[in-house]
Amino acid sequence: MRSSLLALGAALALAMPAAAQQRGQLVVGAAIFTDSIAPAAGGYNTLSLVYQTWDPLVARDHNDDIVPALAERWETLSPTHWRFHLRRSVRWHDGTPFTAEDVKFTIDYVTNPRTVYVRKGRIAGIAAVEVVDPHTLDIRTTSPAPLLLRGLADIAIEQRAITERLGPAEAARRPVGTGPWRYVEWISGDRYDLQANPEYWGGAPRVERLRIRTIPEGSTRVASLLAGETHIIEEVPVDLIPSVRQRRNLAIDAVESSVSLVLTFDTRTPPFNDVRVRRAVDHAINKPQIHQQMLEGLGSVLDGQLVTRATFGHNPNLQARPFDQARARALLREAGFPDGIDTRINTLSGRYLSDVDIANAAAGMMRAIGIRASVNVVEGAVWSRLDRNREQGPIYQVGWFSVGDADFNTVWYTEASRRNYWTNAEFDRLWEEARSTLDQDARRRAYHRMMEIMHEEVPSIFLFGLPRIYGRSNRVAAGWNPPRDSLLRLHRVELR
Amino acid sequence: MAYLLRRLLLVPVPLLIVVVFVFVVLRLTGDPVAIYLGIDATPEQEALLRAELGLDDPVPVQFAWFLLDLLQGDFGNSLQHRAPAMELVGARLPATLQLAAMGLGLAIVLGVLGGIAAAVWNDRLPDLVLTALAVIGQSMPSFWLGILLIQLFALELGWLPTSGREGWESAVLPTLTLAVFLLPNFILVTRTAVLETAREQFVATARARGVGSARALFRHVLPNALNPVVSLVGLQLGRLMGGAVVTETVFAWPGVGRLMVSAIFQRDVPVVIAGVFIVAVTIVLANLVVDIVQAAIDPRIRLR
Repeated sequence: MRSSLLALGAALALAMPAAAQQRGQLVVGAAIFTDSIAPAAGGYNTLSLVYQTWDPLVARDHNDDIVPALAERWETLSPTHWRFHLRRSVRWHDGTPFTAEDVKFTIDYVTNPRTVYVRKGRIAGIAAVEVVDPHTLDIRTTSPAPLLLRGLADIAIEQRAITERLGPAEAARRPVGTGPWRYVEWISGDRYDLQANPEYWGGAPRVERLRIRTIPEGSTRVASLLAGETHIIEEVPVDLIPSVRQRRNLAIDAVESSVSLVLTFDTRTPPFNDVRVRRAVDHAINKPQIHQQMLEGLGSVLDGQLVTRATFGHNPNLQARPFDQARARALLREAGFPDGIDTRINTLSGRYLSDVDIANAAAGMMRAIGIRASVNVVEGAVWSRLDRNREQGPIYQVGWFSVGDADFNTVWYTEASRRNYWTNAEFDRLWEEARSTLDQDARRRAYHRMMEIMHEEVPSIFLFGLPRIYGRSNRVAAGWNPPRDSLLRLHRVELR
Repeated sequence: MAYLLRRLLLVPVPLLIVVVFVFVVLRLTGDPVAIYLGIDATPEQEALLRAELGLDDPVPVQFAWFLLDLLQGDFGNSLQHRAPAMELVGARLPATLQLAAMGLGLAIVLGVLGGIAAAVWNDRLPDLVLTALAVIGQSMPSFWLGILLIQLFALELGWLPTSGREGWESAVLPTLTLAVFLLPNFILVTRTAVLETAREQFVATARARGVGSARALFRHVLPNALNPVVSLVGLQLGRLMGGAVVTETVFAWPGVGRLMVSAIFQRDVPVVIAGVFIVAVTIVLANLVVDIVQAAIDPRIRLR
């Protein structure tokens, strides 16, 4: 009796996921679609597609927190020696078992100096990877590496046998991963069709099939949601938010990303080499007002510092400088510019949410205190050249993202980045220290101090933690959380 | 045949000018390696990729290599996707050809019928309405029209999908958008051509001989009026590509136009040039067809 009950229980447990899986197709409308699903290429737009079929060793969740993935747990044996315990009984989509050899192969291949891999810098500190047994792996780093886990979250683990046989480029054409979805068809510039992986270690996807469509034009994307062709869409244009909200069967899901939109000064030359002028600009810009008008109040106004509230290293004691035109004018006079300043703001168009609108609004507010700023829209490729030559001019608007840890965007203010205009020896030293210790309290203290320095010195005006704005149909019943980092995590999504 | 050969021999010259222009402009204004690797790339990675892509030679040397490969029919690999550039363009080509052919076809049929109607009822209500519509159509941005059509047919009526390329339904709105973009010229040119031909001596003679007005129209006026319309087809092909890019973007149509636009932004020279090449060859071939059709309907024209 007892054993048959157990058997029944086991049978039920086995039957559960299959019974829970819904027929049908989840359709997502993506805004930016890179023309590649290869792990070596592209930014987070590509990674969002890559992680439908592949997994990292450890992952970020939708909240930018680190969670287990192919490794179910890990520990540090010494500050430079990490041990990862891999999930057992994970299988590749072709049925072969996943082992530590696959992880070693992938990391060795990515860190090989001869490999071009866009995100390889994220795991640059790895010195050696050792297979202890098929389900245990050691990683040694050249120095204590507090960012190792966050770095690994950006590396898709590839299957050794397939990648070796076909070569990385060919293997990426028809991904055979461990991820929640299996590859069906990829049509460049159009759609990515996938099928649920019933054996996914994180639980089989709730819906049988997944389609990610590219719909580059914002109003068409919204129309596809209104028409019921898509269940979730990325990047609802700010001016279309009301038209989504007023429909009873649709909703806006917004989340603060870790992208901080800032106006960076060239502090090397007048007039912005004078901190009083930079502070004057900070007082002149009414950030809450722009936030309401250009971002519908979504996301956040930064707290007078580079990182968002959700980022490790955020300093809770700092606040944005208040909007105060009298004080701004006084600071300008004090700095010796009673007649104001002529200047220019460089910005991209369409790279960041409402970027040109925000630059124009900021320029208008600067004009009110006598800083006559014009807005100069720069094309992307020209922009990247200006960036590397540090020729962006007196002010440029840029979004720096942290993906959860201050290290990742404070770097752009250090000499190490070769992209900084402002420089500060203490800041550089703290940055180096914070990335060389596993002591999280010490790291937090360092970032708090770095935020203080930036708040005082104003190398940039810290504007907004930009929102990610998704549109959702009420057919999405559960399992969807808008991701801070823009990666689509869809295997728990249920439709009604 | 000799005519055909001569026409084809003239193609490489403008094409070469375009290739030089595209290469110089794109390479001087941006660095594909920097764009591919992003802002946090190390100098070592950049050097490696530059070597891998053959971008570490001086630009004139690169151009010489590029041209040499091109003469052998090799467009090189896409700098952003690492696949043969021509293969990428080829994969997107059917979608664009389909859109262009259907949009142009619809514009010709509707435009010619509309133009004839306007000419027949010259200065009366049909003429005024058609001419007004043509002028409105000419001044309406296709981008806006596309979104309007989506609103009406996909959202209000729910008859057609908003976007994408799956099944014949998805082709209706993009075709219509592109056709409306081209339509006004066909209406106006047909109308003028029919009216002018109708004033010719030989038509008056035919009418005097007692030929009925319908018969005069179809036997005497139309064959002679069609020539400017056919030349217009050739002239519209260039505009057609511009319209296709906008239409493809609005309707998420996976065509060459969008691929080329993104390739331009990424400074992916091989893909841009492969695209330009294909577009140019298509236009030249289509113009050849136009010439042949013109010669067929008007015996005064010889292909020399």
